[in-house]
Amino acid sequence: MCMAVPSRIVAIDGQTATVEAFGRERQTSLMLLDEEALVGDYVILGAGGNFAAEKVPQETALATLEYLSGVLADGLA
Amino acid sequence: MGFPEAGITVALKVGHGTVRAVEIGSTRLVKAAAMFAGKSPAEVLTILPTLFALCGTAQALTGLEAMEQAGGLFASPATRAARRILVSAEAVAEHGMALARDWPMLMGERPDMETARKFKRTLATVRQHLYPDGDWLTLGGGRLAPDISHLLADIAEAQAAFAHCLGGQVTGLLKDRNTFRAWMTQAPTAIGRMLAQVVSEAQASFGAADLLAMPENGPPDLAERLDGDPDGLYLARPDYRGQVLETGALARNHTHPLVAAILRHEGAGLLARLTARLVDVAAALHEMASLVQDLKAEAAGAARLGSGQGLAATQAARGLLAHRVHLAEGRVSLYRILAPTEWNFHPAGPLARGLTGIRADGDLAARAGLLVAALDPCVTCQVSVEAP
Repeated sequence: MCMAVPSRIVAIDGQTATVEAFGRERQTSLMLLDEEALVGDYVILGAGGNFAAEKVPQETALATLEYLSGVLADGLA
Repeated sequence: MGFPEAGITVALKVGHGTVRAVEIGSTRLVKAAAMFAGKSPAEVLTILPTLFALCGTAQALTGLEAMEQAGGLFASPATRAARRILVSAEAVAEHGMALARDWPMLMGERPDMETARKFKRTLATVRQHLYPDGDWLTLGGGRLAPDISHLLADIAEAQAAFAHCLGGQVTGLLKDRNTFRAWMTQAPTAIGRMLAQVVSEAQASFGAADLLAMPENGPPDLAERLDGDPDGLYLARPDYRGQVLETGALARNHTHPLVAAILRHEGAGLLARLTARLVDVAAALHEMASLVQDLKAEAAGAARLGSGQGLAATQAARGLLAHRVHLAEGRVSLYRILAPTEWNFHPAGPLARGLTGIRADGDLAARAGLLVAALDPCVTCQVSVEAP
C-alpha cells in the first residue's frame, strides 16, 4: 500500500522544509499545504516525498508512527 | 530500522530490438493492515487517514464502510451521498494534481502549482461544507450539515481549474475523437501539447494491450479471496480466475464515446489511458454536482457495532480499493486492504502486458514513463531499460 510516513518538520527555508521520520531526513515542498506549517509540526508527504500534502495533529502522527514501527518490527513489510 | 515507504521498479529487458520481458518489482507493504487486528474500530479510524500518502479519504471511508457493514450499521442515503461526494472530490484532486503539476513536468515544462493548489483545496472545502464539525469519519455518519451554495461554488471552482488545464474549454471537447484531435493540435496548455506529441510521434498505441476491465464493484470472489489469504499472496498479486484485471480511469470509462472511439482506432494504449484520465475528472465533477440534490441535514448516526464481516469496495482515483474486515466483540479480528496498484502494476498486469514485445526504439524509458504516469501508481516508480 501507499503508506505515508508522518514526518516532523525540523527546519524551514522559504517554501522548503527539512522533515524527519525514522531517523531519515529529507526535503519537501510546502507549496501545496493549505495552512501555515512551523518547525515541530507533523506533515504527511505525497508519493516520493517531494510535496507535503497535509498537516496532521501530533497525537495522530505519533499513533501512526507507532503503528508503522509495529509493521516494520513484525516484518509485515 | 527500515523506512516504511515503498516503491515500484519496472525493468524492461531488451533483446533483438524488442522488449523481451518486463520485470516489475514492488516493496509495497501489502500486509500492513493485518496489524489492525486487536484494535477497536475507533483506533483504526484514527490511524487510517494519515497512513496513506494518496487517497487518504477513500482509504478512510472504505475502512469506515467495511467496519459499519461488519458491525451491522447502515448509513443513511444522505450520508452515503456525502461520502461519495468526498471520494469524488478526492479523485478530482488526485487527477488534478497530475494534470497541473506532474504532466507538465513530464513534458519538461513548469508545473502549474496555483492550479494544483486549487484542485487540492476543493477536497478540504467540500469536506468543511458537508461536515462543519469535521466528523466526516464517524461510524454511522457524522453530523451532516450541507451548505449547498458553498458546495456548488466549490465544484464550480474545481470545474474552472479543470477548464484552465484544458485551455478554457471542456464542454463539447471530451465527446468525439475528431473534435478532440483538432483541439490537441492547437491547445495552448501542457496537456494538449503532451497529447499532440503522443499522436505526432505515432505513440498513441504505445503500450496497447487487451483491456480486461475490472467490474465496478470488483471481482465476484473478492471477499472469499481476501479471507483465504493468510500469507498475503493474493494481496501482492491479485487475479480473477487467473486473469489480472485492469482498474482505474480506463476501466471505468471504456464505454465513454470518446474513449471507446480511441480504443477502436488506437487500442488501449497511451492516448486512450491519458484521455480516460481527463474523462474521469469530468465524470467525477459531474457526479459531485448531481449528488448534491441527495444531501440533507442530519444528526450524527448510531455508532454501536455488533460482530460480523464486512467488505467495502470504492472506486478511488486510481481504481478499485477494497477493505475486508472481521469484527468480534468490538475489536478487529481480521483486516485486509487491496489497493488498485496491485492490479495495474502486477507482473502480469496491464503495464507488463502493454510493454512486453514492443519495439525498443526511440526513448523507450521516457515513453514507458509516460505509460506509468497514465496508469498512475500510488507510489514512486523507477523505469530502467536493460540490454543483454
